[in-house]
Amino acid sequence: MNNEIVLEIKNVSKVFKIHHEKNNTFFEFITSSFKRSKKTEQLGVLKDVSFSVEKGKMLGIIGSNGSGKTTLLKIIAKILVPDSGQVSITGKVIPFLELGTGFNGELTARDNVILYGLFLGFSKKEISNKLEKIIKFAELENFVDTKLKNFSTGMYARLAFSTAIEVDPDILLVDEVLSVGDESFQQKSFKKFSEFQAKGKTIIFVSHNLAQVKELCDEVMWIDNGHVKSFGDPTKIVDEFIEFSTKTNTSNEV
Amino acid sequence: MTSILTEIWQKRSLVFALALNDIKLRYKNSFLGFFWSFLEPLLILTVLLFVFTHVMKSTIESYPLYLLLGLIIWYMFTRSTTMGLSSLTDNAHIIQKIHLRKEIFVLSSCLTGFIMMLIEFSAFGIFLVAFSFVPPSTIFLFPLLLIELFVLSVGISLVLSIANVYFRDIKFIWQVILQAGFFLTPIIYSLDMFPSDIKVILELNPISHLITTSHNLVLYGSLPSINSVLYVMIITGSIFLLGYMVFRKKESKIGEEL
Repeated sequence: MNNEIVLEIKNVSKVFKIHHEKNNTFFEFITSSFKRSKKTEQLGVLKDVSFSVEKGKMLGIIGSNGSGKTTLLKIIAKILVPDSGQVSITGKVIPFLELGTGFNGELTARDNVILYGLFLGFSKKEISNKLEKIIKFAELENFVDTKLKNFSTGMYARLAFSTAIEVDPDILLVDEVLSVGDESFQQKSFKKFSEFQAKGKTIIFVSHNLAQVKELCDEVMWIDNGHVKSFGDPTKIVDEFIEFSTKTNTSNEV
Repeated sequence: MTSILTEIWQKRSLVFALALNDIKLRYKNSFLGFFWSFLEPLLILTVLLFVFTHVMKSTIESYPLYLLLGLIIWYMFTRSTTMGLSSLTDNAHIIQKIHLRKEIFVLSSCLTGFIMMLIEFSAFGIFLVAFSFVPPSTIFLFPLLLIELFVLSVGISLVLSIANVYFRDIKFIWQVILQAGFFLTPIIYSLDMFPSDIKVILELNPISHLITTSHNLVLYGSLPSINSVLYVMIITGSIFLLGYMVFRKKESKIGEEL
């Protein structure tokens, strides 16, 4: 019944220019313009990637390091602009690419949550209304006016996750950040993901923890070297990926 | 362009929050707290006043106030452009993780400079009282000049912030330019002290016009010439437009270059 498509990626490609000698200063730039060779290399990070995600689904993205997973998330979050192809999104995307983006240790938990909300494009009033819920989920009621630098890592992680999820995005992008939390925090987050999906929200989950991907996701996409290698049932694709990885590892050893 | 301006207007609470946090953090943990932000310029201005009035023995009318006014305007310009210049590189960690209009960081830096200037003007008020000086009615035009100063600072910061993403030594080059600029701008002296051919060259600097006009509006009750007003408006407008266009062209690439 829920087959409305909220995210559609069509033929997206992205090339990074890798400078062998990057001119980081103005003087270098002037001196290097007298030299002949400009050493840059084109690195295709994403090549003709197409897929779509339905509303309320959780999509897992797997692939070895450097395969383009994070670049893809950054393109969905509009942080990077693709060289070609189209991205169409329905609803509000919240990127959760690291714990506590823009958090400032010298500010209190309250100020940080408000600032974060403003960064994400909410009005001050909207985010103030959500403040209580955010603090409650993070179990930090007694520390609202404590400076963030005095928080423990766990408290920090809880506040960051709670802020990202309680601002109520339509699509949540999660990039490998939950691995830093302890077991109970992870369990709590996963429970939150299910609640989230039940409300018809979409999650895109990048992880190297294949057991988690199998358990949580409805669909899995395997990206290899910038291409979509396969897309579909989690168990099937994770197993394919594991088989492929072991094979390449042994062939490398030979 | 209007759609972008409305978008930035919608983000005004973020711009203000960033600027206010910046000011808050500047005086963090200080015993006197916010009062310090007022006391600091008061003390610095007192010292500068003491040194310059004794060294310069100037014949300029109301020299202490002349000096302070020029200093406050100059500080606003240097602070805004210095902070604006590094605003993109300083906030790289945010820019790489959240999609945002990147002008916001430049604007909020200049706003921080502007708010600090307003605090300094409240200290300036104390000096007005201390010298029992009553400003002429032309002072009511002074806010317009401050807005122009703000727009000019934003325009220059837009260009410099992008340049600083590509060339990290722009920061040091700009510091040298500012240091030279301090002595090439009528802050501690008056342009009338120069022979007219040198004066013409020094008058190319738009900040010179802004400071001379400030002196006239706040202290001497005279209006600037129409040529001077037009010159500064054209320069300000063109720099702002240039900054805007450079920013538009490069904005989508910043995320990769940082």
